[in-house]
Amino acid sequence: MGMLSFYLRKLIIIFKGEVLVLPSRVVVFLFFLVLLFLPVVTQDPYLLRILILTSIFAILAASWDLLSGFTGQMNFGHALFFGVGAYSSALLNLHVHIPPWGSIPIGALAAVLAGLIIGIPCLRLKGTYLALTTLAFPIILMGVVFAIPDITGGELGVSGLDRLSRSRLTDYYVSVVLMLGLCTVMWKITDSNTGIIFHAIREDEVAVRTAGINTTRYKLLAFSLSGFFAGISGGLYAHFMRIAGPSTLEVSMSFTVVIWAVFGGIVTIYGPIGAVFILFPLLEFFRFWPEFRMLMFAVVILLILLYMPDGLLPWVRDKIEKECPRCKIRNVATRKTCRVCTAELD
Amino acid sequence: MKRSKFLLSVLLVACLVMAVGMPAYAAKVIKIGVIGPMKFVQGKGHWNGAIMAQEEINARGGLWVGKKKLKVELVKADSNEFLSMTDATNAMELAITRHKVDFLVGGFRTEAVLAMQDIAMDYKKIFIGCGAAHPELCIRVAKDYKRYKYFFRGTPFNSRYLVKVCFIHMGTVGAILKKALNIPKVKVAIVAEKAVWVDPMIAAAKGFIPKMGMEVAGVWRPSPVATDVTAELSAIQRAGAHMIFTTFSSSVGIPFARQAGELKIPAAQVGINVEAQKDGFWEATEGKGNYVMTMNTYARGVERNELEKRFVEAYIKRFGEMPTYTADTYAAIIYGLAPTIEEAGSLDADKIVAILENREYAVPSGIVGYMKDAQGRHLHDLKFGPRYLTSLGTQWQDGKLVAVWPYRWKPSKEAPEITYKGIVPYKIAPWIIEEHKK
Repeated sequence: MGMLSFYLRKLIIIFKGEVLVLPSRVVVFLFFLVLLFLPVVTQDPYLLRILILTSIFAILAASWDLLSGFTGQMNFGHALFFGVGAYSSALLNLHVHIPPWGSIPIGALAAVLAGLIIGIPCLRLKGTYLALTTLAFPIILMGVVFAIPDITGGELGVSGLDRLSRSRLTDYYVSVVLMLGLCTVMWKITDSNTGIIFHAIREDEVAVRTAGINTTRYKLLAFSLSGFFAGISGGLYAHFMRIAGPSTLEVSMSFTVVIWAVFGGIVTIYGPIGAVFILFPLLEFFRFWPEFRMLMFAVVILLILLYMPDGLLPWVRDKIEKECPRCKIRNVATRKTCRVCTAELD
Repeated sequence: MKRSKFLLSVLLVACLVMAVGMPAYAAKVIKIGVIGPMKFVQGKGHWNGAIMAQEEINARGGLWVGKKKLKVELVKADSNEFLSMTDATNAMELAITRHKVDFLVGGFRTEAVLAMQDIAMDYKKIFIGCGAAHPELCIRVAKDYKRYKYFFRGTPFNSRYLVKVCFIHMGTVGAILKKALNIPKVKVAIVAEKAVWVDPMIAAAKGFIPKMGMEVAGVWRPSPVATDVTAELSAIQRAGAHMIFTTFSSSVGIPFARQAGELKIPAAQVGINVEAQKDGFWEATEGKGNYVMTMNTYARGVERNELEKRFVEAYIKRFGEMPTYTADTYAAIIYGLAPTIEEAGSLDADKIVAILENREYAVPSGIVGYMKDAQGRHLHDLKFGPRYLTSLGTQWQDGKLVAVWPYRWKPSKEAPEITYKGIVPYKIAPWIIEEHKK
């Protein structure tokens, strides 16, 4: 009992000292809380469906940021990982009868393999050349899908898959908990030594190499990690929709991911996640005016990118928080002095 | 005083409940969700057909459901399925769970319809597919009847029959050319746009053309958006083709027909040319698309039954254009769903399925009957054949799109000849005749 109260007090102290001190952390805490307890308030199947798909796409968008944002490996063909994950999970489920909890991770490993396969030839490329080369890969895979319809189902895709679970509520918790968990892992990766090297590769690869770091290995690691997370989202998508079709490999899918990430703010992980949680439900909300739905959506994105070129979430964060010029610790914008080193903030 | 205030409050609340509740009770309607790519011509067809059906039903006071007469209300669901499959499934779930539709009609892209079908089946809602032709949609009904029995094909008949009809057209025109021009062996050029859906048709055509006593002159694959096909046309002419079997669903159908007319390529065009099904084809080809033949669903002046002329004329009057096959949401609602609901006397999906799957009923394009597979299992797929649905072969003749098939069509050696009312004979382009007189 004493032990329990000790840990409880410790938790409260951490919560007060680490979470409540910054608005952005409070927002993230509330985000977790709302997502985890939403079904207590409503179990509307349509709302849960939107949030499930939003969670799946949030993993995908964050995985793009991990590769293209942090490591600077501009990938315009991210649908490849998504599609490989979706098709692999679907085929394993349909032909080998592996249940979703097995087929999704194996599908993600197939996406890792895809990451390595495209990573190796792309190692020598940078910027526009890399972007255009990666763009070609999902198109090539789509060609393969259509070339072997007996296996891939051709234009129909692979349908009749097992559901993620037996109820919409469980589907919701599987997707949301996985999204929160995987995105936290991605965020921790970017905050680790590996993440710092990713960041450094993006800034100046030659400098990193002169420091004795094998950048090739790290770039391949970035491709593999990004492929793994995107593959998980592809597998989740296939089992939730109960079909893995050519639409998972379409160019529009690759570009949608880029739009989400840029809208939310790249090199943040939380930016693309926030963007998906804003834009995907927003597009559904715009159904009230179907004729102008896509136009309104485009206007929102254009306005945000026009006035907030670094993305929406970093812009909001900079408005509510300030960075200490001396110790680089973030403080709430209303503070005059730093909460750690007491340096003047203005 | 207190007591009277209390009674007054109770009375006011009661009035409020009556005021709010009564209209809701009185306003009970049959909700039909119309789902399709509404920004595209296919979705517009879905919606236009459904609107006509709704207006017709409501004009006669609605449908008898037991002892109550209920009006029909349509719910427009934009599936956006050409651009996003996720959007399509969201639209389906929205229509079912938020708008509480009782029935659904529409759908076009097979991949999206498969996913939408699953959602409709989850909620046990009757979904009449009016666009996707793939057999898989109905094979699911046979394989897992308990789950998929709520799905029915409304239009078109499945893709195997679409291919069959194209080959019948090819055989018919081939026989006409052979007889009129005294050609010993008709040579056929296969011209198909570069698209995945066409690949199986090319393979089938290559195998089937020799069996029909004709010869394959070659295969050409222009881009679906090509604006210049003179190279292909010159090659076809050099190959000595007498007939061109076209498979175009995209804009290439216009330049191909126009340039073939300009160059007076001595080969008759038969097959599928979606652009040639549209009213604007004549202007788009500047009249050079004369004598182009394509498979079609409707044509002016054809009367397969008493319903067709009425529907086509009313549609043209209302929307200013010929109905496309997705406008068969009209038939699905007014001849499929409506009488079945009245016969069942209920909106219960199981009762309606049990009646609908055994019905045979007239629609503007023929008679709808539902197939069973070889093992006698329900498929809920449309029957094809002279008694049922056959579609039409239409040809541009001097600025008019007229129906030319079935004209004295004999489905088998013993069967009687079939010619629908309003069908005219096929015409060979004069430059083809001249070429063969030389």
